[in-house]
Amino acid sequence: MAEEETAAMSAGKVPKKLIENGIRNDGRKPEDLRSLKITVGVLKKAAGSALIEWGKNRILAGVYGPREVFPKHNMNPNKAIINCRYAMVPFSSLEEHGRFGPNRRAIEIGKVAKHVFENAILTEQFPKTMIDINIEVLQSDGGTRVAGIVAASLALADAGIPMRDIPCGVSVGKVDGVLVADLDKTEDNLGQSDMPVIFSPRNGDILLFQMDGMLTKKQVMDGIELARVASAKVHELQIEALATKYGAAAAGEDDLQETA
Amino acid sequence: MEKQLVLPGALAATTPRRMDGCYIDGGKTYVSVLSLKSGDKIIPLKGHYLPRIGDYIIGIISEERFSGYEVDINAPFPSSISARDIRETFQVGDVVSAKVRMVDEVHTAQLVEPRKLYAGRLIEIESVKVPRVIGRNGSMLALIKEYTGSDIFVGKNGRIYVKNGDIALSVMALLKISSEAHTSGLTDRIKELLETESKNSPVNHGPQKPPVQQGPQQEQPAETY
Repeated sequence: MAEEETAAMSAGKVPKKLIENGIRNDGRKPEDLRSLKITVGVLKKAAGSALIEWGKNRILAGVYGPREVFPKHNMNPNKAIINCRYAMVPFSSLEEHGRFGPNRRAIEIGKVAKHVFENAILTEQFPKTMIDINIEVLQSDGGTRVAGIVAASLALADAGIPMRDIPCGVSVGKVDGVLVADLDKTEDNLGQSDMPVIFSPRNGDILLFQMDGMLTKKQVMDGIELARVASAKVHELQIEALATKYGAAAAGEDDLQETA
Repeated sequence: MEKQLVLPGALAATTPRRMDGCYIDGGKTYVSVLSLKSGDKIIPLKGHYLPRIGDYIIGIISEERFSGYEVDINAPFPSSISARDIRETFQVGDVVSAKVRMVDEVHTAQLVEPRKLYAGRLIEIESVKVPRVIGRNGSMLALIKEYTGSDIFVGKNGRIYVKNGDIALSVMALLKISSEAHTSGLTDRIKELLETESKNSPVNHGPQKPPVQQGPQQEQPAETY
């Protein structure tokens, strides 16, 4: 089924209607998420890492540091600087072959992701250092920036970097005049609007908010509420992913504070 | 005591409290790193070594300067030994034990009492697991020393120097502690490992009196120049 769809898409054929009888192209209801699975600690050499499988998206996130700043003139004596790199591998997309390395779009996403993490990480605890966050998209099918940030948040937690919170989020948008959550590539390309939102689940702060296309004020406000509900589900899965790796630790009975 | 995995952003206390792995926001305390919560105590599972005054650590000389030595102490921050405080000389790559004398506001440490460590093996574990390696009142360390006859110096920064005796077995036990640090009944399993392995090992020391010495190694390098 999925193969037929992608074959139809690459041949230039697209579905006539994206939503029929309140059911989306891939059988979801407007507020439903695609299947989401996160694995923490997939890279041995990185301080922290995570692999996210969200719909057809496959994104790897790796975190290195805090470490000595290079180049040195970027150093900040008050806090850690954060380098965030988002990139798609040349074979990641279903239609475009792409070139290796970051392009204009990837640099923008790296920048907005950096701002998310600057507001989440307690950077003042590590002056004169830098933290590298790498987000590599292996296969993309819409919503890669939120998926990348969700994965990188877990990689940061895995690396033991102090954070205020574990950011989570989802993209919402308008497709065939209906507000939907978690757009895939077809809906993103053919819908009227796409709006990625990242939240801080502890207090509901919005850490990232972007919009493509047109929405009325009411639709934006409704969209944010839709995203809030959907990203709560994402956050649950984030917690589950960390519990899978570190849950055994909680089962231990011994006192870990047995210091000399 | 019931233990629970807590993630960054979880509420640790409704009052502002200064704790490891926590931060204060709006008069409340929240968790900042992956931790275990036991009662109202927060035990970080992850973390980076931050030098504190009085810590005994193991460093590696990374650079020589006119004013002294730069030392890599397994922390994200640089640290140094002043030439004024020492009579001996070191070379880049030397492993030294030292004490933290001073830490400034950007976590740069000044080290004193450096002693060169030699003829042993250096291993590195996470610094949050050091308490587990030492055990309550040094029980875990004493256990390993008893079975292997090794001298073990544990630095607060997660570096461990093993010398004399059955070094391979000591290292095996230490790495097992590190990888299973947060499981229960670890002391028994380490004892079992030491018992079976020390019988098979060609260097059979058997149970010996544990060396009482703890803290930095007392012996001087054979040759000081």
